[in-house]
Formats: sequence, C-alpha cells, structure tokens
Amino acid sequence: MGYPENSGYMVAAYTIAAVVVLVYSVTLYFRVRRYRDR
Amino acid sequence: MTRRERALQTARRGGLVTVIALVGLAVVYVRAIAFTPIERTQGPAQKIFYVHAPIAWATMLAFAVTGLLSLLYLTMRDRKFDLMAAASAEVGTALGIAMLTTGPLWAKPIWGTFWTWDARLTSTLFTFLLFVGYLVLRGALSDFEVRARFSAVLGVMALVLVPFIHVTVYWFRTLHPDPVVMKPEGPSLPAVMLTTLLTSLIVCTVLYIGLVMQRYALAVLEDVREEEEAGDGIS
Repeated sequence: MGYPENSGYMVAAYTIAAVVVLVYSVTLYFRVRRYRDR
Repeated sequence: MTRRERALQTARRGGLVTVIALVGLAVVYVRAIAFTPIERTQGPAQKIFYVHAPIAWATMLAFAVTGLLSLLYLTMRDRKFDLMAAASAEVGTALGIAMLTTGPLWAKPIWGTFWTWDARLTSTLFTFLLFVGYLVLRGALSDFEVRARFSAVLGVMALVLVPFIHVTVYWFRTLHPDPVVMKPEGPSLPAVMLTTLLTSLIVCTVLYIGLVMQRYALAVLEDVREEEEAGDGIS
C-alpha cells in the first residue's frame, strides 16, 4: 500500500528548524565574542 | 576569578555543549530521514514529528524554567535568578519560532489547514506571545530592580500556562494529537520510531542547556558592563 506524497512539507520543516537553530546559535556566539574581545 | 572571567568560562562551556547538540541534531536528521520508516497513513510528513515534538518540549521546558527562576527571584531577590530566567526566556522564544513553524507544516498535509484556533494551538501561541512580551518588557526597562521584578511577575504568570497547554488535549475537543510518550500508560510508538524521537528529545534538551549557558553568560557580561558604567565596579 502506498503512502501520501508530502515530502515537501517534511523538507520545509526540517530546513526551517535547522535554519532557526543555527541562526540563533551563531548570533549568540558572536554576541558573546563581542564581550570576549574587549 | 572575576565575575567576567567566570562568565566567559561558562560561555565557552555552553558553546561546546551547543556544538555537541548541533552535531546530535544532524545525526537525528539522518536517522529520521534515512533510517526511520515512513508512516503508512501520514506519509513523509509524519517525520516532522521527530523535530517538532522535541523542539516543542524544549520550548516548554524553557518557559517552565523561566517561571520557576522568576519565582525564585521574587522570593530570594538574587539577580542571578533573574539573569538565568531571562536567558531561558530568550532561548525558549527562539525555539518557539521553530515549534510554531514546523507544527503548521505538519498540519497542512494531515489536517488540510496550516492553523486552527483550537485550545492547544491557541494556548501555545498565546504563551509564545507572552514571552515575546517578556523580552520586549525587559528591553524597555533600564533599572535592574524594576526590570527584574516586573519580568519575574510575568514569568510566574506564564508558568501557569505550561501545564495547562499539556492538558488541553484532554480537557478540550482539539485536532492536536494526544501525547505519545508522556502519558500514564507509556509510549505508544514502534521501537524504531520511539528511538528516533527519544534521541531527538535528548538532543533538543542538550541544545537548550548549551544555549542557555551561553545566553546566561552573555547576560552576566552585560550586567558587569552596566555595573562598570554605573561606577560600581563590583566584580
């Protein structure tokens, strides 16, 4: 039995989750580094 | 060791924990996409669950921790608790963005709509917006004591909503699925799917811890600078 073809939603969700987590992690790293370099 | 040096050490450790969690997240992605079977009725979209549910868990953990630390600040007036609460709130809000975007991307192919104003979704969105308000409030107040007290009250109020969100699927008629792990009779998933989900839950929890460590260190560094600028010079 086949299954519904909706892999585009999975790809979109995985991409968005990764982007949000990575952007926040990198931003936080640079915010801390600004203080470290003083 | 000065307060600044301790904060920088915490930031380095937090960074390491975050990198470990990000590598773990990559492993979860590979396991979920390539090594976890496709659910027959929902199709590939069901795999969004392995990202959405753990991120939602980490978000709610962040909000609950913020509330508890706010309560501690109000009772003990130790600024450490306020800074930790603020760190947890910001991380929770960032993770909340991922939670509130991955959820609708699962809902569209399964329910036929990105969003419905049922109890679970509405209360989750409301709590998220409360934390956005929490961060805006903190940004608008410059006096430490006033900022800490006002935001702690808001944090405690939001704490009440976290368990409420969990029970909405039992108390109200809602489209949102019931919990599959955190329920009295135990998890109801095939072992291979449960392993992927639990791995992701651990990774997201570690990610939350790493991010909070860094954000708390940043809050301490900001606090030290504010004190220096005010001429206190406490370190």
